[in-house]
Amino acid sequence: MLNRENSIRVKVFRYDPNYDKEPHYQTYVVPYEEGMSVMNALDYIYYNMDSTLAFYDHAGCYLGICYRCTAKVNGKPSLMCQNKVTEDILVEPLEKRKIIRDLVVEPKKR
Amino acid sequence: MLNKIVTDVLVVGGGGAGFKAAIDICQKGLKATLLSKGPLSRSGATPMAGADYTLDGESLSKFNGLNGDPNDSPEKMFNDILTQGWFLNNQKLIEQYINLAPVCLRELLEWGIKIKLSDERMVFTSSIEIMNAVYNKAKSANVEMFEDVLLLELLVIDGKVVGGVGLDFKSGELIYFSAKAVVIATGGWHKAFWPNTGMRDLTGDGIAMAYRAGADLGNMEFITFCNNVLLHPPIWKGSIAPYVLSLFVGGSLTNRHGENILEKYDPYLVEKGTKTEWNKSFISYITEKEVKEGKGLSHGGVHYSRGNVSWEKVEAAASLLFPEWKYRGINFSEWASKLKDNQPVEVGPAVEYFEGGILVNEHLETSLDGLYAAGECTLGPFGANRVFSAITEIFVHGTTAGINAAKYAKEVDRLKVDPKKLSAIKNRIEAPLYKTNGLHPAQIRMKIQKYAHKYLGPIRNKQGLEEFLNILDKIKQEMPYMATIDKKRTYNKEWLEILELENIVQLLNISARSALLRTESRGVHYREDYPYTDNNNWLLESITRRINSDFKTCWRPLTITTAMPPTGVAPYLNFMKQMMQSHSDTKGKH
Repeated sequence: MLNRENSIRVKVFRYDPNYDKEPHYQTYVVPYEEGMSVMNALDYIYYNMDSTLAFYDHAGCYLGICYRCTAKVNGKPSLMCQNKVTEDILVEPLEKRKIIRDLVVEPKKR
Repeated sequence: MLNKIVTDVLVVGGGGAGFKAAIDICQKGLKATLLSKGPLSRSGATPMAGADYTLDGESLSKFNGLNGDPNDSPEKMFNDILTQGWFLNNQKLIEQYINLAPVCLRELLEWGIKIKLSDERMVFTSSIEIMNAVYNKAKSANVEMFEDVLLLELLVIDGKVVGGVGLDFKSGELIYFSAKAVVIATGGWHKAFWPNTGMRDLTGDGIAMAYRAGADLGNMEFITFCNNVLLHPPIWKGSIAPYVLSLFVGGSLTNRHGENILEKYDPYLVEKGTKTEWNKSFISYITEKEVKEGKGLSHGGVHYSRGNVSWEKVEAAASLLFPEWKYRGINFSEWASKLKDNQPVEVGPAVEYFEGGILVNEHLETSLDGLYAAGECTLGPFGANRVFSAITEIFVHGTTAGINAAKYAKEVDRLKVDPKKLSAIKNRIEAPLYKTNGLHPAQIRMKIQKYAHKYLGPIRNKQGLEEFLNILDKIKQEMPYMATIDKKRTYNKEWLEILELENIVQLLNISARSALLRTESRGVHYREDYPYTDNNNWLLESITRRINSDFKTCWRPLTITTAMPPTGVAPYLNFMKQMMQSHSDTKGKH
């Protein structure tokens, strides 16, 4: 059984501008593992709970090199792959970027 | 119908090889279109490299301000690449690598990359600098670049490759690319395994679609595992930081009983197998052996600690490799405290490089007209084991493939693709979106990754490979029944996962069958049931060709220019030692 000691609550922003009228939030209860990242928690959700959750991982490095997984975690922009989870988290897309779907936003123009 | 993009040469892949090919095509006055599956200049394997660039010391010594052993020579380097590759190398491709390495380095320096340090045969730079340099150069050369766009299928008319069908992954729209020639530069297929040291976009798309189009593949059984890769905590899983550190300072490897693993082996093997880049094959083999014998730790690895190496020496190396224990977005300060207290971390082999791939000649032509390949996706110069740098390979190959594809594109007419053919491809690609019931891909991929590491890892045997082939056959039969739960087109992970799985399963199948057929041990291919290197029977390349829905693997004699390979049979580690001892007198890590 998942309880407060061995699990965390991951609240995620959901929105697909092509299909949804407005954004909403969805909360998942994910098993906690020492030394896990926000990305690890999202991977767990995708594999085991909800494969419709979109976050940028079809490419990218998960080791802090490409910076493409940047999102807001508990209100602060950070790399999801190198942000260690220690408590319940709120995950939202970066502000002032066009939302493609859920946590995936348009990259910065170079 | 599909959106259409018209170009002269379509370059598939946004790593170093793709960029270099596209730049050279534009410089020949043609239009090049480059597809990057992920973020532009942060995609593919290149940005994950350390990165070292290797060339012969004699040429290196002529560069201002760089080291390089003037007593080294192209001949010595040829000998060393050949013995490191256990004589299975295509000797024409070795010569090409050696000849073009200094030319390409000079060009990279002109493009502004900075060198951190250099030794007898190597310059150490940053892969991010390399990617920024090629990106800026591609922009000024007017390469047309697409981000988050991948190619899914090649288009072939009368045996000629004339473009392909791609997917803009963010919007979910399909694109028809009309081209006169195509360069595949999609790298390896790391995602078939977990852990791995590559980006998440490396799923062998290019190798698999070339194979489907009818191109031959070769030596698919040879897969390099990087040693001492972090297996825990999850946030660092796949990081090669302990590998890099151990190459510079050494350190201790112990199993679950606390036994020193390195002490079990011939000191000569240990010396060469830890202080040079022979470590990938040697350490991956000996640490995986501990795990197979039940002496591994809870995450399938062994312990790495600094052992007898002083903390000061570790700190000094780290200050150069990852200043303040940081490397871009990753922070290793917790590992630093462990190292200081001489506490271990769990490490193990993780898939890193694929020696085999699309069969090419020295012009980087494949067996199909109009199709070129460059970089890791090819059967390149390294034979059964790579020690020299793959960064050099991408620039050497990118240059050659780009120039030859441009030459070809200038000579041929554009061919028209039958719209019926495009609709058939579209229907196949979109099928998982329209099925209401079916199997879901996410769990299947995780299962495949686990078995791939277990059965196609650094240690293999008949029973395991056969079991793996059975598992893959079952999944192959299930493939047509896969469906997405998610029916939206925008950034649909499941949809891509199904399309990628098809490629991954196909390449694993070919690799496992080639590994099963090669009844000897050589380079990174070790067979428990055939622990001998057999130079009387196995100095052959495995060549795989599609025949309808199945494939055939046959054997091709080696491509030899100057060096005759040895004869005889020797136990695996004995032959490895012989190969290490045949190294020229040039020092350094290669």
